Amino acid sequence: MTVLLEASELFFDYHAHLRRRDPNASWTLRDINVAMPAGSTVGIVGESGSGKSTLVRLLCGLIVQSRGRITFDGRSLTEWLSEDRREFHRRNQIVFQSPASSLDPRLRIKTSLSEPTKALEQRKPEATELRNWLQDVGLSGEVLSRYPHQLSGGQLQRIAVARALSVRPDVLYADEPTSALDVSVQAQVLNLLMGLKQRHGLTLVLVSHDLAVVARVCEQIIVLKDGQVVEAGGTAAVMTDPKTDYTRTLVEASRATSLVRT
Amino acid sequence: MLEINDLTITIGPHQIVSIEHLSIPAGRRLGLVGESGSGKTMTAMSIIGLLPRDAVVTGSITFSGVEMVNRSERDLSNIRGAEIGVIFQDPLRALNPTMRVGKQVSEALRLHNTVPRKEVKQRTLALFEQVQLPNPAVLARRYPHQLSGGQQQRVLISMAIACDPKLLIADEPTTALDVTVQKEILELLERLSAERGMAVLFVSHDLGVIEAISDHVAVLYGGSLVETGPAEDIVTSPRHRYTEALISVNPGHPEDIDASLGKPLVTIKGSVPPMGAFLPGCRFRGRCPHEIEQCAVEPPITEMTGDHSFKCWNPVDPALVNPALAIDSDDAELLSGRQ
Repeated sequence: MTVLLEASELFFDYHAHLRRRDPNASWTLRDINVAMPAGSTVGIVGESGSGKSTLVRLLCGLIVQSRGRITFDGRSLTEWLSEDRREFHRRNQIVFQSPASSLDPRLRIKTSLSEPTKALEQRKPEATELRNWLQDVGLSGEVLSRYPHQLSGGQLQRIAVARALSVRPDVLYADEPTSALDVSVQAQVLNLLMGLKQRHGLTLVLVSHDLAVVARVCEQIIVLKDGQVVEAGGTAAVMTDPKTDYTRTLVEASRATSLVRT
Repeated sequence: MLEINDLTITIGPHQIVSIEHLSIPAGRRLGLVGESGSGKTMTAMSIIGLLPRDAVVTGSITFSGVEMVNRSERDLSNIRGAEIGVIFQDPLRALNPTMRVGKQVSEALRLHNTVPRKEVKQRTLALFEQVQLPNPAVLARRYPHQLSGGQQQRVLISMAIACDPKLLIADEPTTALDVTVQKEILELLERLSAERGMAVLFVSHDLGVIEAISDHVAVLYGGSLVETGPAEDIVTSPRHRYTEALISVNPGHPEDIDASLGKPLVTIKGSVPPMGAFLPGCRFRGRCPHEIEQCAVEPPITEMTGDHSFKCWNPVDPALVNPALAIDSDDAELLSGRQ
């Protein structure tokens, strides 16, 4: 499989401008190396503050790394952003944790859903397109004229997914897409993501603090702690034979609330 | 300790909760589980009279022999915090952002006059130690935003147990936390309840979390208690179809990781109907894959041995040895691919 996305020796600090004064300050992300083949599913796991979300925001070009190199489809990210910014964002889409705050409360679903097409393809989507996008995530066209507060958390998260997929991306980043939802709704959203990945041949990057969720969806797992990769590998290998104490703690924590007994 | 009989909560034209019987003996931990909109929080808050103004409560809630329904606000505020402690879901919203956390805990102690004024500070630090906050003297001088989510939740727990309550109500205390921190908080609550002989009412949407901490589990759906029983019984041999569904949606910890990878997870069909839109008869009707004709009539309570009871016309066959696994193959076929 060809490598679609690659990051090497990635460093990031939110206070990069202060580093000159204190060069020994800790990095938010430190020496990250990842490679994602096209069509793969990768899980990024770690506790709050470990740098999961920061890494995802770097990879999809929302923030810029302090040091290191990110390559997407053979071109460096800096090049993409300066020459072909729209196309890069079209091909790399993201879904955030809280659907209630990622959709503008003052806009009808119709308007929010049209936004990426307007911004990235500079055209207004047709009514049938909007309906098709919603159908793809299991919603009916009725919700188009609604406001976010009239819909449930699960429905809103489906809309956020539909919006991300409306520009036919290659990579879909999902940053804790189910943490704000009930367990029963969580399963629906995860199934939806897996189904869409199959249908559209997406590369799926799933961020979660819960190893149990990632283990059901992703082939590869990257474990982050304090801004560093502590373990990376195939899901089965990481789950059954964790190499570090930290990963072992995560596996045990996910086992503590598991109901599947063996 | 706590006993609920024929409790109903009505808001406007809709009856939101209707519970025939529920009790927590002293020192025991009861887990109340159900999806959002099933009436868990309403039930928990009715105990301490923290319901919306237009809610009408009938029936009886007795706490150490004292009737709580329609109590005066003054009596209730003496009981809240002193005899019944409460932990809310979002620690950052429950704490005052402009006040040092140590002071907030002292406030609880002062308000209920439980310890002499001179000892308040010392007592606060002792409480911080009990909830395993590192370096209590330093942390007590911090503001909420300077603490991590887990530390904030520990502060709230110390506040809730400050006056030695006989009952602790914990409403989704770990939902906003990481799984690793969640495990620590659950262990802490379990230890505190054992050490102090404190009864706990634990509310969550996640049966996995509930099972980890409770002795006894009550499953709530559509404001009705569909199944209650010892925690172990509920997860290993559920009878009600809703309990069965809640178990099957737990992502779990599959033994054969490669085999389960990418396979659809079991889901519950549809979503919880809004207030007042439940069908008559069994509340789970319309979402239940095992519905039969009788379900249009409200099912009776079936009592079983060992304190286990349920309300279902077409219950799970107890002969299934491991229902959690058996349902998986059965329902996956039915539910995969469409929601």
